[in-house]
Amino acid sequence: MSFKMSKRSLLAATALLAVSLAAPSAHAQSRAETLRYVTGATVNTLDPNIPGSTREAFALSMSSYDRLVSFGRKQLNGKWVFDLDTITGELAESFQVSPDGLKITFKLRPDAKFQDGSPVTAEDVKWSLDRCVTAPILGKAQLLTGSLTSADQFKVIDPLTFEVTLPKPDKLALPNLATVYPIIINSKLAKSHATADDPWALNWTKENAAGSGAYSVETFKPGEQVIAKRNDAWNRGAPDKPAAFKRLIIQSVPEPATRANLVERGDADLVIDLQASDVQSLEGKGKLKVISTPQYNAVTFISMNNTLPPFDNVNVRRAIAYALPYDDMFKAALFGRGAPLYGATWADGKPPSGSYPIPQPIKLDLDKAKAYLKEAGMPDGFSTTFSFNVGQAATAEPMAALVKEQLGKIGIKVDIQKLPDAQMSTAINEKKLPFFIEGIVAWLPSTDYFYRNFYTGKQRWNYSSTDNAELEKVAQAARFEADKAKYEEEGKELNAIHYDQMFQIPIWQASQDAVMQPTVDGYVYQFTRQVDYRNLSRK
Amino acid sequence: MGTIGATLLRAGRRFVSSLPALFGVLVFTFLLMRVLPGDPAVFFASGPNAGKEEIEVIRRQLGLDKPLPNQLAIYLYDVGRGNLGRSMMTGQAVAKDLKERLPASLELTLTALLIALVSAVPLGVLAALRPGSLVDHSVRLFCSLGVCVPTFVSGLLLIYVFYYLLGFAPDPTGRIDIFATLPPQRTGFLIIDFLLAGDLEGWWAAARQLMLPALTMALFVIAPLARITRASMLVSLGSDFVRTARSVGLSWWRIVVTYALRNALLPVITIAGIVFSTMLGANVLVEKVFSWPGVASYALDALLVSDYAPVQGFVLLMATIFVIVNLVVDVLYGIADPRATVA
Repeated sequence: MSFKMSKRSLLAATALLAVSLAAPSAHAQSRAETLRYVTGATVNTLDPNIPGSTREAFALSMSSYDRLVSFGRKQLNGKWVFDLDTITGELAESFQVSPDGLKITFKLRPDAKFQDGSPVTAEDVKWSLDRCVTAPILGKAQLLTGSLTSADQFKVIDPLTFEVTLPKPDKLALPNLATVYPIIINSKLAKSHATADDPWALNWTKENAAGSGAYSVETFKPGEQVIAKRNDAWNRGAPDKPAAFKRLIIQSVPEPATRANLVERGDADLVIDLQASDVQSLEGKGKLKVISTPQYNAVTFISMNNTLPPFDNVNVRRAIAYALPYDDMFKAALFGRGAPLYGATWADGKPPSGSYPIPQPIKLDLDKAKAYLKEAGMPDGFSTTFSFNVGQAATAEPMAALVKEQLGKIGIKVDIQKLPDAQMSTAINEKKLPFFIEGIVAWLPSTDYFYRNFYTGKQRWNYSSTDNAELEKVAQAARFEADKAKYEEEGKELNAIHYDQMFQIPIWQASQDAVMQPTVDGYVYQFTRQVDYRNLSRK
Repeated sequence: MGTIGATLLRAGRRFVSSLPALFGVLVFTFLLMRVLPGDPAVFFASGPNAGKEEIEVIRRQLGLDKPLPNQLAIYLYDVGRGNLGRSMMTGQAVAKDLKERLPASLELTLTALLIALVSAVPLGVLAALRPGSLVDHSVRLFCSLGVCVPTFVSGLLLIYVFYYLLGFAPDPTGRIDIFATLPPQRTGFLIIDFLLAGDLEGWWAAARQLMLPALTMALFVIAPLARITRASMLVSLGSDFVRTARSVGLSWWRIVVTYALRNALLPVITIAGIVFSTMLGANVLVEKVFSWPGVASYALDALLVSDYAPVQGFVLLMATIFVIVNLVVDVLYGIADPRATVA
């Protein structure tokens, strides 16, 4: 390599940098008709049923597949959110529940077609739902919560009529059919790709979408991007109209600062996973539309394992509840973006409502905390570890620091553990962590569902390892309670037990901050905690 | 010609002798992944109502239900047939993932290395010609800055200035503008593929995407390259043969470039090889900041979620590349200095 040569390349490189003109992108295909959505996560499968599917994969499947029914939407504090109580037909034109509540009959839309043009029939519905309850996939555990467990419950009456039979009336059966998993698949197409050891064609649907949904997948590069094209024949949103955007680009951009830059510069249309501080500043600048919705089907906890000393002592748990710096955490971690679940006043000390979660009557009160510690027989405090996972570090790190500082004031020495995500979930699953930050989500957020899933049994989601006979009895009774007033009473009872025993401490519901171009319209907060692209349009 | 033939022969022999090391790396990574805490099955069974059953399904899928020696035997057999397993994270075969992502990493790293060499060698030479002068000190300052500023900071700064403020650079997301059509894939190197396809507009788009991340990477490695150039240049400028050349009255240019620099380049080649291998694997941050679909960010993501197969595949790939790069360095050495033997 001679010096002359390098001088020339040096010049060339400098020239390249200097000339880096803002040339308009080569193929600016009617940018207005394309929705460019950027996310820190990635779509890793086209079939949301595959174990290990990401939430972004769920979101895409809402657009690439149809289900029999879908959730409506409602206004909550002036924001559009999904409405669990309104079920509308998607592939079903209409449905009827028999008077005894044991049979649901669906009439399919005669005009519904799969993306390859073949009509959607009751046979396809049967095959898809059979698959959901038989194959070793995610849908199985979900549909179980709606008493849908066996292929025998699904019956084809005629090409456009389909019947579901229930062992007993179950108010969660129909909502379950609107969740992510019971997608209706083009069964002829899928079957042609099934093999002897893969009768449900799971390996094929992982990489190929065979649905009737609003968007058909064009390119699928896990970890990079998914590009989808509008299915013009789809008319399940607004009657007789296809989805608004012609193309959909779902792009993985791992760096949150970059995502914020993209949306601010107008290169991205919508993003929902920015850091709270970036949302704050973008909102302050006022150029973009920011819709913040508290995630009303999710809860963030400071959790304690009720089987590990000293947290097996209820007074220790109460002491912790009165020693946490709630307001400071809320400001430091979320910049106040969310709905707090502390600092309420319960008249006469009873829960005001039977919903879950409701704000608890707890606040920072060190004298109270000390008194409880004394009662627990540990006036000088104790030592413990406090864990959170790396994936949550942006919010959890400041929280942990504040918890450590505050608990130190009453003699509780806290050692902070930051664990890689997989390690954290393993430790929680093995019930090894005494004290940690975690969160829960319910797709079908009813009080009994929360209590049954998150406060009973040995599964991972019972973070506090609660084993309370009274709670279990009431929650199981509420499961099939048809009488609304009685259900409310049972809910209040559960909330009272929860507050009295302080199994774990619900602290807040973080907001989902959707930041978008001012032209983007129609955003709805969905049960998946993801964007439903079908809702969106450009003004 | 004979010397080159002999060099290649020795290089081949040396490659064969490094196979046991690669095998060791393979087994070691396999065991390490399983010893580290974190159970991938539990992590991936994270649906809102995932229970024991689902964890078991995933465990079976990953083959983690078998005893460890069996798992290892199966894995070695698979690797022998070129199957590196499947990634849970992307749902794709690891070999396919790596094959798709390696060109992106290579393109970025090679470009960065080229930028770094082209700037570091002249800087080092300038500093060596006037040791202790203002030039020498400013080179030192520049190098220190490059090393001190972490890549993600310099990357974000570059994005902030060139994309966010000035709008010169395209949006920093990946290798090519998302609305552009890709050229037919021949090499996997976009800038070469575009040229082969004769699509200059596309080439320009790809080159613009490449500039900021390559610059970010280059800034970080200019320092070691410039320092080593300076040091070895000082040695060779002070050596007998340069003194002889001076006394004979050869031109300054000829002395510096032909005699001193050619000899001084040997350690630079060595360091460049090491720097290249390191950059390829260690530039996770640059890949993350620029959403560059490379192998390093892929491996890091996999590591965080205890996805065994991709991490193992990545380590194996890196070890192989390391071996190859070392060989190339040895061969270059042999060409640059006939006295060096590849033993």
